[in-house]
Amino acid sequence: MADELYLENIDEFVTDQNRVVTYKWLSYTLGVHVNLAKQMLYDYVERKRKENSGAQLHVTYLVAGNLLQNGHVCHKVAVVREDKLEAMKSKLSTIASVHVYSVQKALLKDSSPLYNTDYDIVKTNLQHCSKFSAIRCAAAVPRPPREAPAAPAQSAQGQRDPGTASTVNGHGPPAAKGPPQQHRGIMGMFAAKAAARAQDAPKEAKAEPKEAPGVSAASSKPPTKNNIMNNFFGKAAMNKLKANSVPEQPKEEKEVGKPSVAVAETESSPNSAAEKPGKKAEPARIQQKDKKSKTKRVDRSDDEEERDAENVKKKRKRIKQLESDSSDEEDVPPSPTPEEERAPSPPPAPAPKAELEPASTEVSAAGRKRKRKRVLKSKMFIDEEEGCMGKAG
Amino acid sequence: MFSEQAAPMAQGLLAPPSAEPPTFPRVPVSGYSDCSQPFQLGERGFSRQYAHIYAVRLAGMRPGLEQRARSLWGNGIALRKLSELQTGEKCCVVGTLFKSMQLQPSILQEISEEHNLVPQPPLPKYIQPSDELILEDELQRIKLEGAIDVQRLVTGTILAVYGCEQDDGRFLVEDHCFAGLPPPLPWNGPSSDRFVLLASGLGLGSVSGEALLSTQLLVDVVTGQLGAEGEQNCAAHITRVILAGNLLSQNTQSRDTINKAKYLTKKTQAASVEAVKMLDEILLQLCTSVPVDVMPGEFDPTNYTLPQQPLHRCMLPLASAYTTLRLVTNPYQASLDGVRFLGTSGQNISDIFKYSSMDDYLEILEWTLLAGHISPTAPDTLGCYPFYKSDPFILTECPHVYFCGNAPRFQSKLLQGKEGQRVLLVAVPDFSATQTACLVNLRDLSCQPITFSGFGADSED
Repeated sequence: MADELYLENIDEFVTDQNRVVTYKWLSYTLGVHVNLAKQMLYDYVERKRKENSGAQLHVTYLVAGNLLQNGHVCHKVAVVREDKLEAMKSKLSTIASVHVYSVQKALLKDSSPLYNTDYDIVKTNLQHCSKFSAIRCAAAVPRPPREAPAAPAQSAQGQRDPGTASTVNGHGPPAAKGPPQQHRGIMGMFAAKAAARAQDAPKEAKAEPKEAPGVSAASSKPPTKNNIMNNFFGKAAMNKLKANSVPEQPKEEKEVGKPSVAVAETESSPNSAAEKPGKKAEPARIQQKDKKSKTKRVDRSDDEEERDAENVKKKRKRIKQLESDSSDEEDVPPSPTPEEERAPSPPPAPAPKAELEPASTEVSAAGRKRKRKRVLKSKMFIDEEEGCMGKAG
Repeated sequence: MFSEQAAPMAQGLLAPPSAEPPTFPRVPVSGYSDCSQPFQLGERGFSRQYAHIYAVRLAGMRPGLEQRARSLWGNGIALRKLSELQTGEKCCVVGTLFKSMQLQPSILQEISEEHNLVPQPPLPKYIQPSDELILEDELQRIKLEGAIDVQRLVTGTILAVYGCEQDDGRFLVEDHCFAGLPPPLPWNGPSSDRFVLLASGLGLGSVSGEALLSTQLLVDVVTGQLGAEGEQNCAAHITRVILAGNLLSQNTQSRDTINKAKYLTKKTQAASVEAVKMLDEILLQLCTSVPVDVMPGEFDPTNYTLPQQPLHRCMLPLASAYTTLRLVTNPYQASLDGVRFLGTSGQNISDIFKYSSMDDYLEILEWTLLAGHISPTAPDTLGCYPFYKSDPFILTECPHVYFCGNAPRFQSKLLQGKEGQRVLLVAVPDFSATQTACLVNLRDLSCQPITFSGFGADSED
């Protein structure tokens, strides 16, 4: 009978494999309700003992009930060996439940094998650990993944009240640094750049998340984030991706993404050949890197799959080339066009922009030379700024 | 509680498999609201001195104390500030208590080169017969003597003393009073049995593994895997689990990195990393079945000063995917099914234990409720955030369940107040030591401990 199969299974587990078969382990292995597993174990023990009285089967039971302890009635739940079962039952004033806990061939000295068995089987089934339980909780639903974008929005509002720090719940993310407006502006800048730059949809989609990790971590984390983002963006449509990816970036950086979303969406439409200075905030850099960038960018645009590896390599190359190119870049006059580019974007201070731009471009998609050069250029801006604020930036 | 309802079907599972076993739905959450906003800090600045917190504490509690003093000692008593005292005049003064203790650890003494002292080892209690009580208000301070128990009281308590000033400049106390029980909250409790499981001191990451099976049994009972049908049905009435601190064991706090050279400790992982992973798995099992509120404790990876902020959800990636997990502050206040819970992870009680002659955690818990302040010894001997606008530890409303975690043993008491307050005081025991948790029945504010045990080589039972 199919019903008897479980008996053979248990027999195999206990005798042949010499396992400690707990009710939980059996429930997960056979895919049955825990109560059914307990009954199966009981049935197996009974039959085995009837068949072969010399069978070496050791059983542990779970006993639960009321116990008078230290003057108050305490509910005791205990795992006991078979030989102590009756003693425990007699100690309890009311018995709430008795059932088989485990069956094994060897006599257990202590309960650690029971714990280990249960721990292992739960560990391998973590995703549905309440599947065979007797209680279902309707409220236990996984959080929707889009909850995160709401958090940065709240955090920005919380930061506007620096005075009410102590007792008021400021929702302040501890890592938030700098005024939110500046970051929003910078994010707007990035979104604009991202919208302007890439020609292809996926390329652009991948550009944006790569900018974002650059902003936050600047070269240490981006490869992994790119992978995650790549998987993410493999599915949805481009516009939706962009609208969503920009909030995703703030989630990782704890910055407000709304303005950048708006900017991204406005800039996303004239998308196709985004090299030319039709876009704001792009042209200066594009012009300055026209020599190498255009051709390289076209090349890179096709290499979507190798982007991640390239990014890593590009980063390394960038670092090496920084020294060589910096001298080149310093000779290039910082035209006023960069200033114009930045002016139309939301009004942030130039310093943080300059700081964040290189970071973003360091990790931007496909490691195009244009972006690499942008890195250098902006770094130059930073240096300049620290020196004499003479150049735009 | 459990047992009576479950008893009829106790032996039901000692039978061959029969019908399809029933699945019980968890009782739905009704009426949960988190009231611990005062304990959540946003942007924090530590540039302020702690004098402000005492000032706002006194200002906040003074009106209530004056009212109580009038009701106790007559409407006509003179309420004086210390600067207005006249020798020999019977009056009432409201102020903050300061207990000067010789044995109180002082960082200044420790680092003082003149004394050449070895820092004193931590003692269980720092009280001594030579301790003195001093009452301070906004401007002055005065030594207290008389009908006041010096050993029992601790620094930071706001109280009203009735007596008169002596010629030698001390205040002779005839009577004193505290703020008393806060005003009661209306009762909206459930009409059927609803349970809340209170547990604290899971102590994961400790060297010994004895409590691990008990922890697993606890999780199994709550998630409905353990027990016969009757017990599982009762377990389905557990609406919430509150873990009151010390989820990690003290062993995870070993700071080799401080004592040893860097080259020895560079590659070693902090002990808390493994422990937090284990915690995550346990919480995941719980969260798939019941709403869980996790409060941080003394040994948990969060800030040290009270109020402790919630653990960050990045440490619990598996469990925080579920909406049933709530990471909350310590102290924690919430309204569950119309019943107001307020509790801490026990640092406030254990700190008062060190500086007072009171030995019983439940007694101390009751005393803090009567004194109207969750943690009077903060910031003197217990780390505290420098509040300056208001003191969030002042009790303004009387909770229905007031608990503290990590007590040495389980204790509970139902306190009745004169204005109709009904408070269940629960001292939640340390699970890693006692393998005991508490089940609170919200319908009638009763509490039952629930103990778990395996069997060991010594096989006591």
